[in-house]
Amino acid sequence: MAVCIAVIAKENYPLYIRSVPTQGELKFHYTVHTSLDVVEEKISGVGKALADQRELYLGLLYPTEDYKVYGYVTNSKVKFVIVVDSSNTSLRDNEIRSMFRKLHNSFTDVMCNPFYNPGDPIQSKGHQTAQTHLPGNF
Amino acid sequence: MSVPDYMQCAEDHQTVVVVVQPMGIVPEDQFFRIYKRIASVSQVSIRDSQRVLFIRFRHHYPPENNEWGDFQTHRKVVGLISVTSCTTAKEWPQTSDRFHGQKEVFGSTLYDSRLLVFGLQGEVAEQQRTDVAFYPSYDDCPDVEKRVEDFVESIFIVLESKRLDRATDKSGDKIQMLCVPFEKKDFVGLDTDSRHYKKRCQGRMRKHVGDLCLQAGMLQDALVHYHMAVELLRSVNDFLWLGAALEGLCSASVIFHYPGGTAGKSGARKPSVSSAADAGKRHRPGALTSSGISADTSAEIGRAKNCLSQEDIIEKYKEAISYYGKYKSAGVIELEACIKAVRVLAIQKRAMEASEFLQNAVYINLGQLSEEEKIQRYSVLSELYELIGFQRKSAFFKRVAAMQCVAPTIPEPGWKACYKLLLETLPGYSLSLDPKDFSKGTHRGWAAVQLRLLHELVYASRRMGNPGLSVRHLSFLLQTMLDFLSDQEKKEVTQSLENYTSKCPGGMEVISLPDGLKLSPVPFTKLPIVRSVSLLNLPVSLRPHKVKGLLGQGLSSASPFIYSPITMHSRGDERSKKIDFQWVQGDVCEVQLMVYNPMPFELRVENMGLLTSGVDFESLPAALSLPAESGLYPVTLVGVPRTAGNITINGYHTSVFGVSSDCLLEGLVGVKSSGCMVEVVPSLPRLQLCTSLPRSAHLSSEDLSTSVSLQLFNGETQQLTITLENIGTETLNTLELTSKTLSTKDGISVTGLPVSSPLRQVLKPRTENKPVGSDASKNEFNHVKTLEAVLTFKYSGGAGQVEGYYRELSLGVRVDVEPSVFFTRVSTLPATSTRQCHLLLDVFNSTEHELTLSAKNNQDLVLHASECQRMAIQVDKLDFDSMPVTDHDALRQATVRQQEEKRQQVQGGLINSTLDIHWTISSIQRHGEASVEGVLNQLILEHLQLAPLQWDVVVNGKPCDCDVIADCRVGDAVPLEVKLTNRSKSAVGPFSLTIVPFQDYQNGVQNYDLQDAVTFIGSNTFYIGTVNPTENSVCVGALLFLYTGDFYLNIKFQDDSTARDLPPAWFCLPSVHIKAQEPVEL
Repeated sequence: MAVCIAVIAKENYPLYIRSVPTQGELKFHYTVHTSLDVVEEKISGVGKALADQRELYLGLLYPTEDYKVYGYVTNSKVKFVIVVDSSNTSLRDNEIRSMFRKLHNSFTDVMCNPFYNPGDPIQSKGHQTAQTHLPGNF
Repeated sequence: MSVPDYMQCAEDHQTVVVVVQPMGIVPEDQFFRIYKRIASVSQVSIRDSQRVLFIRFRHHYPPENNEWGDFQTHRKVVGLISVTSCTTAKEWPQTSDRFHGQKEVFGSTLYDSRLLVFGLQGEVAEQQRTDVAFYPSYDDCPDVEKRVEDFVESIFIVLESKRLDRATDKSGDKIQMLCVPFEKKDFVGLDTDSRHYKKRCQGRMRKHVGDLCLQAGMLQDALVHYHMAVELLRSVNDFLWLGAALEGLCSASVIFHYPGGTAGKSGARKPSVSSAADAGKRHRPGALTSSGISADTSAEIGRAKNCLSQEDIIEKYKEAISYYGKYKSAGVIELEACIKAVRVLAIQKRAMEASEFLQNAVYINLGQLSEEEKIQRYSVLSELYELIGFQRKSAFFKRVAAMQCVAPTIPEPGWKACYKLLLETLPGYSLSLDPKDFSKGTHRGWAAVQLRLLHELVYASRRMGNPGLSVRHLSFLLQTMLDFLSDQEKKEVTQSLENYTSKCPGGMEVISLPDGLKLSPVPFTKLPIVRSVSLLNLPVSLRPHKVKGLLGQGLSSASPFIYSPITMHSRGDERSKKIDFQWVQGDVCEVQLMVYNPMPFELRVENMGLLTSGVDFESLPAALSLPAESGLYPVTLVGVPRTAGNITINGYHTSVFGVSSDCLLEGLVGVKSSGCMVEVVPSLPRLQLCTSLPRSAHLSSEDLSTSVSLQLFNGETQQLTITLENIGTETLNTLELTSKTLSTKDGISVTGLPVSSPLRQVLKPRTENKPVGSDASKNEFNHVKTLEAVLTFKYSGGAGQVEGYYRELSLGVRVDVEPSVFFTRVSTLPATSTRQCHLLLDVFNSTEHELTLSAKNNQDLVLHASECQRMAIQVDKLDFDSMPVTDHDALRQATVRQQEEKRQQVQGGLINSTLDIHWTISSIQRHGEASVEGVLNQLILEHLQLAPLQWDVVVNGKPCDCDVIADCRVGDAVPLEVKLTNRSKSAVGPFSLTIVPFQDYQNGVQNYDLQDAVTFIGSNTFYIGTVNPTENSVCVGALLFLYTGDFYLNIKFQDDSTARDLPPAWFCLPSVHIKAQEPVEL
């Protein structure tokens, strides 16, 4: 079950972050923020080795005691991070991938909105509703 | 073993531990000075062997760690140096005993020990002992290092002997079972003779020998031993020791691969733990020296085989750690192994794998940790994350460490340490405490976590007891994070800021922290936000003007071209562009800012003033209150330049929430400005203008400084007194007055400026009507006309005059003229006298009031509103020729047409003054004059003009004119005299006159047949010769009346060619009325 979803701008500030237990939101801010270290490391590693390869899904960034953090980077270096409850072992890699894909589509829709100013926090209702349809009751 | 050494690194495996301890009372600073000198001997080359022994000095070492010395020999304390003070020989025995007592603590493992005694002199100190050194004082101990070297050599000898001893153990001998403390009880009752047990013993011993070899500088031997140990231990599943053997293998390989060490620049080492200045000096024996001869002679051969590759090192570390992980009690070993592996990975730049090791290290449970240990652990994690480039993780753990410093369980929270650690997390959150980094472009970084950190900084600094610091941080938070604060948060933050500043106001000074960090001031450029800055010109009346002749000087240097289409365009220069107006020294100048308040509540800005440079400027601060989330709001900041020169507006200062800020314009984003530099000219006098009439609210033109407006009826006169007062500080030297009429299209003029005194003026606006052609144009006069005139006072004085500046004060006079009376038609009728005529005026009262019209020598005429009546005025004919010509020069220069106009104007004036027509509206107490000037036409003018030939007829000695009846007696001769006076400019004549008597029966019948009644004595025809100008000619005759009666004499001109050239009006002779009466009886 996804407990937190974040969209992070190229310049590494959050465009959108939403977590299920809303009272502990700051905790997820920290979780996602620190995961950027790994994301950057992975991007730079990929950039060197396989410049052509366009695998956007970064896989598991790091596990913590309670959560697993997954990452995804678009070609424009916008990062998606999904935090999943560790106890939920039923969630497969494929399902995580499809969540990211949906998130990416939804993000693309937001970017297509002529009234959206790239770089601003995302406040689109459509984006939110799209995410509620993500697996994991979001 | 419970205390991990977080500083450990792989190469520490080849060192030996020497504990340096104070004994008795040793001043701390002295001890650490000695300790530093001792610790400087961190590596000693052993004579004759080309080997090097590395020493780790510790001033504190937990004895329980020593118990793991068999497991990994680098944990074993092999040497002890005690430092003590001893002043008298008496104390010596006691000191010596204590030294022995201290040795007992590490007694089981010590190879050798030394005692350094300071302060003792004399007999006791003379004795030569190898284990004790005497020094007179802490400052006088030149050979401490030498002593330590000797001591290290002695340790080496023991070490080497032990190594040889163990290495040459025969396999057949009973091998001692080495074990770690927690294993001891497991071996109770174990069959010591089994093969399994023996193998175990062998494996452990191999591993131990490997350790000793490594310490003794025999890297290759160590590798060989480790390999053997791994194989032996693997076969018996002795996992803990297998792990140790693998780690030993890794350590040896790391030492071989990275002769520079993995601890980095020793910066990670804390002086309190170990001040070993050993970095850099380290010279690894495994490395090839420049001469190509390896220090380790054991074998070049087989090196590649025995030594692990870089990949393998990590694999083996992983394996070792997984084995350690099986034992709860080996947590410290596991943790340290993780740290060592991370350091290696950091050098290999394999951050991802390093992070996995660290992640593992985070979860290693070491049981109950003290708060201090927790802090240390988190700090080390943070440092390690930083080492592998994970800035954010590093910051995260540093922040956790900081929070740990002030955990509620700690009786005395270390707010200072917390604050210091928090400051160190700033780069990890891409947060800089310099507001300049935020003013440019968009916000960088993760606002939510930055906000949190700032809040924590504020709180920590407050608890530290440094309110100035917390004000600075809170100001910074408010300034940089404003966009990310909710309305509620904005309120809270400002409230607490106000609380803090009530005790410690915030300012613009740089706050320097003890550790060298400088906190630059935080100007509140967003409270309020400034959108534009514009310097305002002075009010029209105060603007300085340059005297024309001097203007050229300023322009000359700029360009040789008068005009060039190429404009020098540089973006950055916009602000420094000079503005094309001037300010005046000593006069209040204004700068207008457009500001808005981004806060959801009313913002009080106090002490808002200008920051300037270039000229002494006295800023007059303003306080303002901006409504919540106001739109753009104009704020005018004022000040007085005290000297002349070029002034630049650099910014403004404010005081908001008790924090005073200096906001410089160059640092502001999105501020529109049309230039901030303006010239200040030297001071000038300043005139204030007062008028006797109230000033009008609206100025008809921008250039006017004051304006009066009044409403008058046509022909009314209003006196206006203007008072000028010099309210400036400079003396007024010159004053020049000019006047100008603004709208003259209707032939309206403001006339008469008899400048009698420069300070007193009479302005008499007299309006002239347009000539009235017909009644149809009546309506044209019913509307109000507006006349405008401007009086301009140019004045100068003081220093400004020297520089060629003057000021202009202009007074606009606006008169709304309402029609009063006007003449719709004018005609003349001849009067009975030839010297007079009747002027018939059709007067129309266009006011709404009853109006009384009066003329000279005439009855008052009352006109009701909108009534038209004819008024007849008997006027003496006027002699225009005798009018004084005012200005000969002007006349001479003017054109004929102008002369004519001038003449007509003068004639009109004369007629007006002669007629002197006045109107009075008694109901509203208004009166004025009415002018006929405009309505007079040429014909009427001619009628009004006195003929140049003046005829006087005298009958019986009595001058006759109309209405005069001359009396005479029948039978008496009546003398008749006709006199011609020539007032024209040319000679006239000759003329001949015939006198024709007649009787008027008053019924239309005139009887000319009077030969019987009247007889002429002499001729009835007179002859007048040529009369020159100003001369006169008289002809005399006589009449004899034979009967009584009324007779008239008609004086006729002979139809003579000479008279025809002249206008008939010139020959207008009076008719003579003679009454002949009965002669008086005698």
